Amino acid sequence: MKKPLFLLSILLSSYLSFSQTDKTIDSTAVFVLDKMSDIIGDLTSVTFDINTSVDKVSASNNLIKSYSKTTVTFSGPDKLLVRTDGSRGQSGFWYDGEYFTYYNYDENNYVTLEAPDTTLEMIDQMHLDFDFTFPAADFFYPNFTDDVLEHFNTIKFLGKKTLDNEECYHILASNDNIDVQIWVSNKTYLLPKHFVITYKKESNRQYESTFSNWSLNPDVPDRVFHFLTPPTAKLINILKKS
Amino acid sequence: MTAHKINIKHTLGLILIFIALIFPSDLLAQRMRGGGGGMRGGGGSRSVSRPTHTPSRSKQAARPSTSQRTPKRSINGGSTKTKSRDFSNKKKTTNRSTTNKTRPNTNNRATTGQGKVTNRKTSNVKNKTTNRAGNKSGNKIGNKTGNNNRVGNNTRIGNNNVNINVNNRNTYVRGGSRAYVRPPYRYGGFGYYCHRPYFYHPYTPFYWGPVYHPWGFFVATLATTAIIVSITNDDTNEKEEYNYENGNYYLKTEDGFVAVQAPIGAEVPEIPKEAQKVEVDNSTNYYYGGAFYEENKDGYIVVPATAGTIVPGLPEGGEEVKIGDVTYVQFGQTYYQPIQVDGKDMYEIVEVKQEG
Repeated sequence: MKKPLFLLSILLSSYLSFSQTDKTIDSTAVFVLDKMSDIIGDLTSVTFDINTSVDKVSASNNLIKSYSKTTVTFSGPDKLLVRTDGSRGQSGFWYDGEYFTYYNYDENNYVTLEAPDTTLEMIDQMHLDFDFTFPAADFFYPNFTDDVLEHFNTIKFLGKKTLDNEECYHILASNDNIDVQIWVSNKTYLLPKHFVITYKKESNRQYESTFSNWSLNPDVPDRVFHFLTPPTAKLINILKKS
Repeated sequence: MTAHKINIKHTLGLILIFIALIFPSDLLAQRMRGGGGGMRGGGGSRSVSRPTHTPSRSKQAARPSTSQRTPKRSINGGSTKTKSRDFSNKKKTTNRSTTNKTRPNTNNRATTGQGKVTNRKTSNVKNKTTNRAGNKSGNKIGNKTGNNNRVGNNTRIGNNNVNINVNNRNTYVRGGSRAYVRPPYRYGGFGYYCHRPYFYHPYTPFYWGPVYHPWGFFVATLATTAIIVSITNDDTNEKEEYNYENGNYYLKTEDGFVAVQAPIGAEVPEIPKEAQKVEVDNSTNYYYGGAFYEENKDGYIVVPATAGTIVPGLPEGGEEVKIGDVTYVQFGQTYYQPIQVDGKDMYEIVEVKQEG
């Protein structure tokens, strides 16, 4: 009888010690992230470019890098347009609050699906069901800082750094699996400038993105977010992930 | 004594309300300081929290009335944050709600409130069913030797249901014996194995010549040379009879006959000369109308597709389906990967394996 109790106490103690894991959180870093999140949350529309490089671990354990350039436009809570051109081809997402369309320019085929009512719910659902990825979408969640605080044990402010002639706040968030470095621009507006994600347990592969050409609160016509089918494009089916 | 206390409380409450009415902007300022982006950022919550008018503010004159302009809505409803962040405590904060979701729900946002207009054509969403590669459970040959000499179409019996759709039972894939050098394409817990690289080309049904009838093709009568092929369904134990003529299989309907896909296990004495030879695991099969035939002493028998087989064209009845980053052509449980061989567009049968 004593043995199970002993095991139970070990389990309980390990659980308690886990829940009391040390966290190193720099208030300056959190302030910068909060400020950036506030500015993004204040936008009614936004357009920006994002240049991304993604490492993929090959079967022979080599890192293969691919590049892409994406132009993203948000408008209100229920409009999104994403155009991507890169080494994996050219594609686009259109979301008008009712329908989501993925169009592959190279294959000239597209998928149209009924979508949730808001952009962020749509992003969640499309990622969960079909593995669609939306570059840098995390920055546009209203509780971005809370997400960072929840998922990382260490959040440090590494000082001011100049990046591409812009003064930036350099922030590091780290946990056992991932290091995220974020450079937040201090040029007029606190907006993300650059970030690098390092997957420490996957051959240190990296996901790296640079933001540019921010246009804040542009007046974007709603019809832009409505997918107009090219004459010869083909509607195809899609397989749900699970 | 108790009544006296209540009176004092009431008096204090009235005084506070009076002060609040005199200084509304002060209260608003306090709320904004503590409220975070949700209060400032707008969205649905902004219009609720903002007073309809603030006469004590000098900036009000320059700002248009909120009731007259179209409310601008934030792209994410405004930032939100937990109100208490104690950075002096280096231990893990426990006051934050944790859910299994990796991302927050954003239900505090004003939605359009309009019903979804469903007049736009949308894609079919496919669900991955259990992988049956290499799992032989198809059809049995009803009468291997007797049917070949049966001629005529006037004795059609039984099932009159028209089936112009792809019959999943006839589309399972046998696993290939060759090891795959290429890593599979992984999606949704399955690995999609191919010997050749993905090379997209649009799916256009192949036409096998003048005697070929695509699936769903209707004919009123069949020639007297048509034969009846009897197949017993293992699952239902029911006998199904097909009419075979020149590489085409037909099911009888009330008005005539409709072309369907070849049933696995069907044995026929001959196949059209347009049938193409395809290499399947170091042996030769014949491919015609989307069906694979093995030759034996009595003729040809319809066999399941084998993973890794390369075919030059696909019949009608397939559907292009996006699986992650690739687009395959699907016939029931068979996926064909578009490839290119010596500059020619072809397809390779994909082997789908559940990943551990």
